Amino acid sequence: MRVLSSKFIALVLLLLSLPVALRISARPQQVNAAPQNAPHKVDEAEEGEKRFRSNCGRCHHPPESLSPREARTVLRQMRVRAMLSAEDERLILKYLAP
Amino acid sequence: MRRNRYLPFWAGLMLAALGACPSQGQEQVPLISGAAGLLFSKDAGQAALQPILTPVLVVPIGSRFLVEASAELQGYVARATPGGPFLQQEFTTIEYLQLDYVANSYLTIVAGRFLTPFNIYNERLGPIWIHNLQDGPLIYPIGTRTTGSSDGVMLRGVAVSRPEWLLNYTAFFSVLSNVSNLEAGRAFGTRVGLFIPKARLEVGSSYQRFLQDQHTDSYGVYLSWLPTARVEVKAEYAHSPQGYGYWIEGAYRFSESGLLGRELKNIQPIIRGQQFFRLAPGVGDQLPQADTQRVDFGLNYYFPHEIRLNGSYGRHLSSSGNSNNWTLDLTYRFLFPMPFWPKGAK
Repeated sequence: MRVLSSKFIALVLLLLSLPVALRISARPQQVNAAPQNAPHKVDEAEEGEKRFRSNCGRCHHPPESLSPREARTVLRQMRVRAMLSAEDERLILKYLAP
Repeated sequence: MRRNRYLPFWAGLMLAALGACPSQGQEQVPLISGAAGLLFSKDAGQAALQPILTPVLVVPIGSRFLVEASAELQGYVARATPGGPFLQQEFTTIEYLQLDYVANSYLTIVAGRFLTPFNIYNERLGPIWIHNLQDGPLIYPIGTRTTGSSDGVMLRGVAVSRPEWLLNYTAFFSVLSNVSNLEAGRAFGTRVGLFIPKARLEVGSSYQRFLQDQHTDSYGVYLSWLPTARVEVKAEYAHSPQGYGYWIEGAYRFSESGLLGRELKNIQPIIRGQQFFRLAPGVGDQLPQADTQRVDFGLNYYFPHEIRLNGSYGRHLSSSGNSNNWTLDLTYRFLFPMPFWPKGAK
């Protein structure tokens, strides 16, 4: 059984490594870089902070630091758990990872 | 054989990770997050030490799917008898392992094992790095039987969204499961919440019908409110055929300004009061066996790097015996991207 489980783990790790390898070879996608004027960006970050405090802040404090792609995943999860709207998700992302 | 019990669980997660791909122009990365904690308690003279690790894996798949999984690995060290040797036990539970499909803002479909959405404590305040007091509320078992998790299907979302208010909902059905670590009761339930963003206030109600053995109804109401940026108020009331009760908790975060602002800003005092009233005897319902009142005073200290030290004192008053309850715990909240995942766009 020990041999079987080792083979199984090795197979899973091999399968896991495939998309990673494929993605390393692929050109990374760029984040939406639509031109935005600075004041608009600040307004959205401020609105995002408000929405964070009224939605997320009732349960926990903001994380100390998040990269944009980490923040996107966190917000996807919180959209389900905290039932955020798509607009909340977009604005809070501007606040957490401007 | 025991060694391989969790292989399908982890294999499933890894296979889900295989399918994870960035949506157009919005790269996301699978995350490993959660908390680690060391909890010490002295409950009615009985001391116990509990190391806890609660890893959470979140894997986005495309733009609409999400896999979420969380387990709790817990140790428990205590004397079996007063003055006797310390004994150690370990527990492992899978809190949730679910696939979410975000259809739109109004509807998300969840399938798998998920936290039972009754009131707010179980789903929102359960993680050790979130709740302010180590001991859960007396009424926590109401609506969360049998394990706090359900196996089945859940619908949730925002039914009505207006700038001034939002109406959110969940509805679920769970099947009976006796599978080790995936135990759940047969039940269905709903929760509806009204959120007023400007007031930072949410009130809501829950209903659950337990469909095993004797069919019973549980219901509850809750409140979550931030009257100011530094004051938190949370409360729940729950009723079941075995008993009913409530808890209300307030917490205050000091201002950074002022003479002692720098020293006080990381401190958060907490107070919680609760009562439970037994209506009918219940075996194994995990509720207090007699009418009970309890008050807890706690203090959080927030260190940098997501580390929190918490201490509390509680006085437990019951016809079956009064007791003092002391707790001290250190928790660390972590979050990092899945190792070896390509960095891609920043």
